[in-house]
Amino acid sequence: MKTFMKLLSVTVGGLMISTVAQAQTKIGVLVPDSGPGGLFGPSARQAAELAAQDINAAGGIGGEPIELVFADVGVPPAQAVQSVQRLWRGQGVEGFVGMHDSAVRAALTGQFKGEVPYVYTAVYEGGECAASTYVTGETPAQQLDPVIPWLTENKGASKWYLIGNDYNWPRDTNAVAKGYIADSGGEIVGEEYVPLGTSDFDASLVRIKGSGADAILVTLVGGDSVGFNIAYSAFGLPEQALRVGTLIEENTLAGIGAANAAGLYSSMGYFANLPNDAAAAYAARISDTFGDQAAQPNGLGQSVYDGLVLLAAMGNAAGSMDAAAIAGVADGTSFSSPRGSATLDGNHVAQSVYLADGSSGSFEVVASFDSVPHGVACN
Amino acid sequence: MESVYLFALNFTWQIAALALLALGLAMVFGQLKIMNMAHGEFVMMGAYSWVLVAQMGWPLVLAVPVCVLGVGAIAFVVERVLVRHLYARPFDSLLATWALSIIIRECVELSFGRQFYNVPLPLQGSLDFGIVSYPAYRILVMVCVLALFAALWFYYRNSRLGLRLRAMVENPNLAQAHGINTTRLSTSVFVLGCVFAGLAGLILAPTLSVYPSMGIDALIRSFFALIIGGLGSLEGLAIGTTIVSGMQSGLSALFSQTVGYLGVLVLAVIFIWRRPSGLYNPR
Repeated sequence: MKTFMKLLSVTVGGLMISTVAQAQTKIGVLVPDSGPGGLFGPSARQAAELAAQDINAAGGIGGEPIELVFADVGVPPAQAVQSVQRLWRGQGVEGFVGMHDSAVRAALTGQFKGEVPYVYTAVYEGGECAASTYVTGETPAQQLDPVIPWLTENKGASKWYLIGNDYNWPRDTNAVAKGYIADSGGEIVGEEYVPLGTSDFDASLVRIKGSGADAILVTLVGGDSVGFNIAYSAFGLPEQALRVGTLIEENTLAGIGAANAAGLYSSMGYFANLPNDAAAAYAARISDTFGDQAAQPNGLGQSVYDGLVLLAAMGNAAGSMDAAAIAGVADGTSFSSPRGSATLDGNHVAQSVYLADGSSGSFEVVASFDSVPHGVACN
Repeated sequence: MESVYLFALNFTWQIAALALLALGLAMVFGQLKIMNMAHGEFVMMGAYSWVLVAQMGWPLVLAVPVCVLGVGAIAFVVERVLVRHLYARPFDSLLATWALSIIIRECVELSFGRQFYNVPLPLQGSLDFGIVSYPAYRILVMVCVLALFAALWFYYRNSRLGLRLRAMVENPNLAQAHGINTTRLSTSVFVLGCVFAGLAGLILAPTLSVYPSMGIDALIRSFFALIIGGLGSLEGLAIGTTIVSGMQSGLSALFSQTVGYLGVLVLAVIFIWRRPSGLYNPR
C-alpha cells in the first residue's frame, strides 16, 4: 500500500509537472558538448541555466516561464541541423540561442529562413545579416578598434606581426586589424597563417624574432594558442614584443601558464573577474549553484547568458516569440548582463569591450571601452 | 647569422623530440607488428602524470615514478586483455587499439576535464651560446635523448634480451623451440614501448599544450617517421625522424607551416607507394 501511494504520488506529481510544462515557452540552447569546442560546453550550459533563472524570476517571456531545451552542436553542420530541426519542428521550440562555429551558424540560418528568432553569441568574424538572426558575439571591430590605439599609446606598439590559424575568422580579423594599425601609425612586419592543429611554432618564432616586431596579434585558437604562447616565452620573446589575442579566455590562459604569460593581453567582452558587481555576482552564483561541477566562467560560455537575456527582452517587447513581431521591435533593444549593458543596433549589439593583462596568470582588466560599435553593415 | 644557428638548433630539437615520441611506437610496431593506434594516448597519459601529481599535492619529482608505474600497469593490462590476442592480425589490432585510444581519451576527459593544463618547465631560462641563446630545457632534453639512444643501441646489440628479441622477430616458432618464452617477451616489449611513449609525454609536456586529444599529433608524426625510416631498427628510426623533422622545419622556415606539413605528407605517400619498407631495412 505504501509503495502504491508512493507510485501514485510520483505519477500525479509527474502529471502536474507536465501540465505546467505545457504553459512554458521552449527555448533551444545550442552549445558544443563535443568536438573542438567541447571545452566550452559546461560553461555555456551553466550560463544558460542562470539566465533562465533570471528570466523566469522577472516573469519569463510574455508572462510565461521559459524552459530550456539543449542540443549538441559541436558536430558537423549537417548533423547539427538535424538536431536543431528536431527541437524546432518536433518539440515546438520557439526561439534559439547558439554558441558554436560559423559553419554551423551558416547551416542554421539556411534552415531557419528567418522564421524563428535566433541569437548567435560566439566571438566571430562579423558579417552575419540573415533575417531574424541577432548577434551578441564580439566582432573584430569591437575587439580591435579601441584596443590597437590603446596599445600604441600606452605600450608603444608600432610594428605588428599577425599570426593566426588558417581559416576565415583569423583572416577576417587581421583584415580589419590592418586598418586600425595603419590608422594608429603602426606598420605590419609580418603576417602568417598556420594549419589548425599545429604544435611546432619554431619557424614562426624565428621569423617573429627577425621581424623586429614589438606587438603580436594572436588569432590562434585553443591548443594551438597554448602551444604558441609557451614556445614564445621559452625563446625569451616577451622581452621583445607584447602579445594581444582576441580569443584568449581563462582556459587558454591556464594552459599557457603564468610563467609564459608576461606581456600577454586579451581583448574580449567578458572576463571572469571583470571589475563590476554584476560580474562578481555571476561568478559567485556559478560556484554556489553548481558546486564542484562549476565550470570556469569564460567569455565564450558566458555569452549564452547574454543571448538568452536579449531573446527574452525582444520577446517581451514584441509580446510574443513570433519572428516577424520580434523583427519589428528588435532594433534598439537594451539589456544588461555581467558584461555591462548592451543595445541592439541593427542585428548586432553595441557593447562593452575589455582589455585584460594576463601576465600574472589571471586576467586583470587594464582598460574598458563602453558602447563599442560592431562595425557590421547589413543591406 | 643568428637565424641560421637558431634553425640548426630547432632542427636538432625537432629530431630529438620526434625520436623520443616515435621510439615507443617503433618498438611495438617494429618488433610486435602491432600498429598501436593508442600510442598517442600513452604519450598523453605520460603528460598527465604531472597533472595528477600536482592535483594530489605530491612533490613534482614523483611524476616520473607515477608515469612509469601507472602507464606500465595500464599497458600490462592492455597487453593481457586486448593486444595478446591480436598478434599477427594487423588490421584487427589496428581497429582494437583505435577503440582503445578513444576509451583512454574519454576516461582522461572524465577524470581531468577537457581543459588545458600547464606543466611548468622543470628548467627555466636559456643557455647563451654567444651568437644565439636557446631554451635550457630543450638543450637538456636533446642531450638526454642522445644518451638514451646511444645506450639503447649499445644494449640492443650486446644484451641477451636484444638477441632473444631479434630471434623472436626473425622466426617466432624457432625461437620458442629454442626455449625463448615469446609470450613473456612480447608482453615486455609492449609494456616497455608504452612506457617509453609515456616518458616522451612526460618529458615533452612542459613544451606542449596538455589536453586529452594531444596524443593524435604524436601518433601521426611518429607514424610518418617510421614509414620513411623503416621498421625494426634504431637506425631506421633515426633516419626517419631526421628526414621528417628536416623536411618539416626546413620547409616551414623557407616557406610556411602549411608547406612543411604538405611536404611531409607527400613524402610519406611516396614512401608507402614506392618503398613501403622504408629507407633502412636490415633484413
